[in-house]
Amino acid sequence: MSSNDGIGRLRAIERQFDEDRVSVADLKAVEDIRTRYLSRKAGLLTLELQNLGKLPKDQRAEFGRVANEVKLKIEASLETLQATIAQREKQNALEREAVDVTLPGNRRRIGHRHPLTIVRKEIEDIFVSMGYAVEDGPEVESSYYNFDALNFPPGHPARDPRDTFYVSEHMILRTHTSPVQVRTMEKIQPPIRIICPGRVFRRDAFDPTHSPMFHQVECLVVDEGITFADLKGTLERFHKRFFGEKTKTRLRPSFFPFVEPGAEVDVSCVFCDGSGCRVCKGTGWIEVMGAGMVHPNLYQFVNYDPEKYTGFAFGGGIERYAMLKYNINDLQLFFQNDMRFLGHFE
Amino acid sequence: MRVSYRWLKELVEIAETPQQLGDRFTNVGLAVDALENSGNDAIFELDVATNRPDCLSHLGVAREVAAIYGSALRPPKFQLRESEKRAADVFSISISDPDLCARYCGRYIAGVKIGPSPEWLKARLELLGVRSINNVADVTNYVMLELGQPLHAFDADTLAGQQIIVRRADFDEKLTTLDGVERKLNPSMLVIADAKRTVAVAGVMGGGETEISASTGNVLLESANFDALSIRKTSRALGLATEASYRFERGADIEMARFACDRAAALIQELAGGTILRDLIDVYPRPRTPVTATLRRNKIGAFLGASVDDAIVDGIFERLAFKSKHTHEGWSVEVPSHRVDIGREEDLLDEIARHHGFDKFPATLPKWSGYGSSLPSESDERFLRNRLAAAGYSEIIPMAFSDESTERKFRPQIEPVRLTNPMAEDEAVLRTSLVPSILRAIQWNAYHGIRDVQLYELGKVYRNGGENRSLIIAATGALRPKGVHEAEREFGFYDLKGDVEDLLHAFNVKLQSGVDSLPAYYHPGRAVGLGDLLVFGELHRDYVRDYKLKHRVYMAEFDVQLLFESRAPRSIEAVPRFPSIRRDFSLLLNKAVKYADVEQAVRAVAIPQLIEIEPFDRLERGPFPESKYALAISLTYQSPDRTLTDDEVEVFDKRILDSLRQRLGAELRQ
Repeated sequence: MSSNDGIGRLRAIERQFDEDRVSVADLKAVEDIRTRYLSRKAGLLTLELQNLGKLPKDQRAEFGRVANEVKLKIEASLETLQATIAQREKQNALEREAVDVTLPGNRRRIGHRHPLTIVRKEIEDIFVSMGYAVEDGPEVESSYYNFDALNFPPGHPARDPRDTFYVSEHMILRTHTSPVQVRTMEKIQPPIRIICPGRVFRRDAFDPTHSPMFHQVECLVVDEGITFADLKGTLERFHKRFFGEKTKTRLRPSFFPFVEPGAEVDVSCVFCDGSGCRVCKGTGWIEVMGAGMVHPNLYQFVNYDPEKYTGFAFGGGIERYAMLKYNINDLQLFFQNDMRFLGHFE
Repeated sequence: MRVSYRWLKELVEIAETPQQLGDRFTNVGLAVDALENSGNDAIFELDVATNRPDCLSHLGVAREVAAIYGSALRPPKFQLRESEKRAADVFSISISDPDLCARYCGRYIAGVKIGPSPEWLKARLELLGVRSINNVADVTNYVMLELGQPLHAFDADTLAGQQIIVRRADFDEKLTTLDGVERKLNPSMLVIADAKRTVAVAGVMGGGETEISASTGNVLLESANFDALSIRKTSRALGLATEASYRFERGADIEMARFACDRAAALIQELAGGTILRDLIDVYPRPRTPVTATLRRNKIGAFLGASVDDAIVDGIFERLAFKSKHTHEGWSVEVPSHRVDIGREEDLLDEIARHHGFDKFPATLPKWSGYGSSLPSESDERFLRNRLAAAGYSEIIPMAFSDESTERKFRPQIEPVRLTNPMAEDEAVLRTSLVPSILRAIQWNAYHGIRDVQLYELGKVYRNGGENRSLIIAATGALRPKGVHEAEREFGFYDLKGDVEDLLHAFNVKLQSGVDSLPAYYHPGRAVGLGDLLVFGELHRDYVRDYKLKHRVYMAEFDVQLLFESRAPRSIEAVPRFPSIRRDFSLLLNKAVKYADVEQAVRAVAIPQLIEIEPFDRLERGPFPESKYALAISLTYQSPDRTLTDDEVEVFDKRILDSLRQRLGAELRQ
C-alpha cells in the first residue's frame, strides 16, 4: 500500500463529504454526518487514519498531514454548518411564535371620573394654589342663611315657591352656595378667602339648559383693602388658568342683592377665541358668572365693621364650565349617567 | 321690557345707531336681551334689574341715555285745559290704610266719547306688545309705558257714592276682575272700593263692573302709589301678575303720580274729548322724605381700586340729575325720587363705577399672606377615587330627588326630607339611600344596550335633620367581555368581594368576619353586613326584577366617613432576611364547615411563625362522600431571626392538623 493511494482515499473522503454536506438540513443531519465521518469507532476518516501504521515510515508524515488537513476542514465545515442551521432553526422557531400584532390588546377596564368632579377639582386646585380655603355646608338650609342674611328683601322673587324648593316654612334646598359664605363669616373674622363648591337646587324643569339640581362654586374674599380691581384681577387670573392664557375676562354691570357694584362676568368665547361664532351668538363673549363687591348690609349680619373691611364675591355653575371645557351642549347628559358619555373622561 | 328707539329719540337726543346704543346699555348694566328692527324703528328687549324700576319706562330709559351721552332730557309736553268746575266738588277720595297706599291722585274727566284710538297710538302700543282696547284704556297703557306710572281708568258713573276708598279687603270679599275671573279677597290685600263695594285690586287689576265701556261718559283716572311688598304678596296670592303689579312691586316713583295723572288726562281729552274738572285730587298722607347720600373721595380708590377725578364724578352726578354738593370729604348727593335703589355710599360708588366704565379700573390681585387649604377629606377622597377608577368603576352623579315609596323599600326606618312643592310626585323627597339611583343608572345603560358596567357614587344621602356622604359601588354583566383573545368572564360575588377587600386594604381597615343582619334587598345567601361600615353582596332577585334588569347586580355600600377615619399611616416591617417555608395540605371537610372556621382553627394554634394561610383549591365532588368537600390550603412559616428547620415546621403542621381534626373533623387527603 502506498501513501499515494492513502492520500487519494483521503481526498475521495473529502470530496464525498463536500457532496454529502449539501443535503444536510437540520441539526440531526449534522450529527449524523459528523458520526459518519468522524465517529471514533466507525467514522470514514477515523477508519482511514487507522491505516497510518501500515504505511512506510517516510510516508506517514505526508499522509498524517493530509489526514489532519481533511479532518480540520471537515470539523470546521461541520462547525459552520451547525451554527448556520442552529441560527436558522431559532429564526424559524421565532417565526412560528409570531402573533398578529395588529389585533387589539387586552385592556383592563379603567373607571372614569365624572366630568363635574374633574372640573370641580380643577377649580378647587386653582384657588387653593392662589391661597384660598375650600369650605362646604348643608344643602338643606334655612331661608335665613340662603336669603335673609344675603340681603334678599322679604318678598324677593327668588324666595317664591315657584322658584325655590321648600321643606318647611323656614327650611329650603339652598339655591346657591352663598349660605356657606355667611356661615364662614359667622365663625371667623377676616381675612376671609374661601371658595364654596357644592350642589344647589332651583325649581326648573329638566331640559338641555335647565336642571332642578346643579352645582356651583362661589368665592368670597373679605379683608382690609380689597378692591373692585382685585375682583377683576382674580377673575382674570382664574379664567386664564382654567381656559388658557389667552382668555380674556370682561365685567358687565348687573344687579344681585348681596353685592354692589354687581357684575355679570363674560369670558372671551372658548370656541372662536372671541371672533364670533354660533355658541357666543356672534358676540365673542360667553357669560359664566355673577360677581361683585360684597354688599355692606351683609357685614351687619356677621358683625364685621364695614368701615374697616371690604370684599368681593363671585359664583358660577360648574356645569357651565364643564360644558365650555368639553363642548357639551346638553345639561341633561351630566345626570343621565350614560356610559357612552362618562367613558369620554379620564 | 320692550323699548322703542324712536320713542327714546323723542325724549332725548341720540346721535348713535340702535346697535351702538345697545352696547352702551350693556356697559352701564341695562342688559339687552335682543335688538330687532321693526319698520323704521328698532326695539330693544331690555332685561331691567329688579333694583331699577325707574328703567321700566321710556322716560326712565331716556334718563339713562341722557346720562350716557350727557344730553338733555325732553319730558313730554302737554296742555291741560281744565273746566271751572272743581273735581273735588263732584268726587272724593280717601285712604284708610296709608301704610299700603302712600299717595292717590285722581282726575275727573267728564263727557268723553269712547272710541278706537288713532292709528299712531295703536301702532305704537302694538309694537311694544300691548293690545289696543279703546282710546281711554290705551292712554293709560301708553302713559305707563312712557312714564312708568301704572294708571287705571274707572267709569265714574258706576262708582257708588262718587267716591273712592282705598282700604283693605274684607274677609271673603269677592271681585270679578277685568279678565273675567272671580277673585276671593282677604284683609291682607289692598283694594279700591266705592261707597258700596270693592271695585279693583289695588295696583294689580281693576274690576269688570267699573271698567270703561262704549257707553262710558265720565272717567275717574287713578294714578297712585302702593306698597311694593303688599302688591307682590297680593299678586302672588291671586296668581295674577300684570304690568301694573310688576312696576309697583319693584317700587314706583311716588313723585311721578301727579305728573302722570295730568299727562294722561290731557291725552284723554285730546283723543276722547270731554272736560277735565279743575284741580287734581291728590291724597298724599305720607310725603316722601328726601334722601341724601354722601360719598367720600378716598373711598373711591379704596373701594374701586383707582381714584377718579373730581370733575368726572361731578359730571356723572350731573348727568344722572343727582343734585350734588362738595363737602370737605367728598360729595353730598340728593337722590331723585325715581332712584329708589340709592341710599348709601356704596350705591354712589356703584354709579361711579358703571358710568365711568368698569374697564377704566385696573385688574390686580389681592395682597395677602397665608396659605390655601382643601377640605379635610380631600386627600382621602382623591385616593378613593383613584383606587375606584383603577378597579374599573366609573363615577355617576344622579339626581337627589326620589319618591317616598321607593325610599321606604330601601331605608324603611329613615324619615326622609319631604319637599312641600316638588316638581313631580315621584320627586317629592330627597333620597335616603344611594341604591335606587345607581340601579336606575344601571337600568338606563341596559336600556341603551350597555350591559357591562361598574359604577360608583360618592354622594350625599339625606334624612330629616341631617345629610351625610356615602359611597356605593355596583357592577353587573361581564367583568371582561368575550374578545378575540379570551372567553367572556362574568362579574361574580368574589370579584365584588375582592374589590371590597382591596378598598379596605387601601384604607388599612381589617375586614372583621361576623355577619350582621342584611337589608332585605340583598340575596340572603350572597351578602355580608359588617356593622356600620359596610354591607355588600348580590342584589336580591326580586329587586333585579323590579328594576327590569336581566343580569345579576353586585353592590357594596360604605360609610365613607368611617372608611376615611379608619385610614391610618402604615408602619412597614423590615423586608424578611430569612426564607419562608410553604406547606400545602388537602383537607376533607364537612359541607357545613366554612372557610372562616378553617382559618379560625388554624389561628387558634397561635404559632407566631405562621405568617400566612391561604386557600388555593376547592373540590365539591371527588373520590369522597357527598357530604364532604376538599379544600387545599397553604401555610407559610417564617421567622424574623433564623431559617426554620424541617423538624420545627413539621411540629407546627402537626399541631395545626390536630386542631383542624379536633375542631372541625377535618381529614387530611393523601
